Amino acid sequence: MAQLVQLIGVQHNPILIRRFQQAEKFPGAPEALRAFGQMREALEEARPDVILVVGNDHLNQWFMDNMPAFLVGKAPIAAGPFPHEREQFGLEPYEVPVEVGVAKRLIEGGYWAGVDFAYSDEFTLDHAFVVPLSLIHPRADVPIVPIFSNVMAPPMPPAQRFYEVGQAMRRVIEDMPGDARVAVVASGHLSVEIGGPRFMVEAPDPEFDAEMIDHIGHGHVDALLGLLTPERMTRAGNLTAAAMNFALLVGLAGGQPATRADYVLLSTSTTPFLSWDLHKARP
Amino acid sequence: MSRYQVDKVMRQVVMSPERAAAFRDDASLFLEGFELTDEERTALVQQDVGALYALGAHPFLLWGWFRNVQDRTREDMARYYTQAVTPHGYPDFGT
Repeated sequence: MAQLVQLIGVQHNPILIRRFQQAEKFPGAPEALRAFGQMREALEEARPDVILVVGNDHLNQWFMDNMPAFLVGKAPIAAGPFPHEREQFGLEPYEVPVEVGVAKRLIEGGYWAGVDFAYSDEFTLDHAFVVPLSLIHPRADVPIVPIFSNVMAPPMPPAQRFYEVGQAMRRVIEDMPGDARVAVVASGHLSVEIGGPRFMVEAPDPEFDAEMIDHIGHGHVDALLGLLTPERMTRAGNLTAAAMNFALLVGLAGGQPATRADYVLLSTSTTPFLSWDLHKARP
Repeated sequence: MSRYQVDKVMRQVVMSPERAAAFRDDASLFLEGFELTDEERTALVQQDVGALYALGAHPFLLWGWFRNVQDRTREDMARYYTQAVTPHGYPDFGT
């Protein structure tokens, strides 16, 4: 049986990449960069054979003409970001092989575990994937399976559904034949506002951020899902729904407290660092 | 109201430098063929960020579109943008 060895949750703010190139100029950036390095080490120490990467496209790949709630990418190669993202944020190209067999097992297993994943054989990874992967999986030497969620275009799945999809993914992974070591990296945000009145303001709702990290750190699932209501998330910031990607991670963790759940305050937003070192709990 | 069409216009501008240039050159021509209300068409041509935001344009696309079509410095642009949207609070941007 395959085993889940590591879960990691980080932010995907594309502005971070340029800031990290001159980290000493921005308060908090050196600490955040160091924490991304620790996430990279945690991922490498877990020696995964495949990394499932959960992120939300930003209306670049998927649009309201055909919007999947959860979609598995199963082309042999995953690459990105989009040209306009490279230009706007100074992101470098990133390419990584996809473990197509695991992608298919996830889709097939999903049907039996209660999740009808959409799938695609042709896609581009946007900054939600490229930013975390270039920071914590820079060598791109372990294949991934990208999983896209919709946190941008209402109607969106509720936080409860993200949690359930995480639980279902865990069951599917643990039922996979063979002894593959599987890690999962999810990227999202805490409170965030883009294109609304509080745009360009620091973390728009630090109280929300602290509460969310506290619930994840303690494994308080009901409290976490109670916090992630559409109303409360909008109050925290107009695009805070990306926090639900972390609810999926909590579902994968089976509600157990995180090994690490903290954050660094940056002038752009609160940057969370979440990990569950599952492989260390095993004999 | 045709939020989907407004979002579609803005996405093309955000993702393609050629489409952004075409919009800047002649916005009315660009918008031919999109099923927009008169109000939406006028707001897009006049780069009326506040009106588009109030109509429920997707805020992520609205900001991206605006930074591609107008010619202020980045700081002015952000200040102008937030002042324009602030009176409208948080309108529903679902399509």
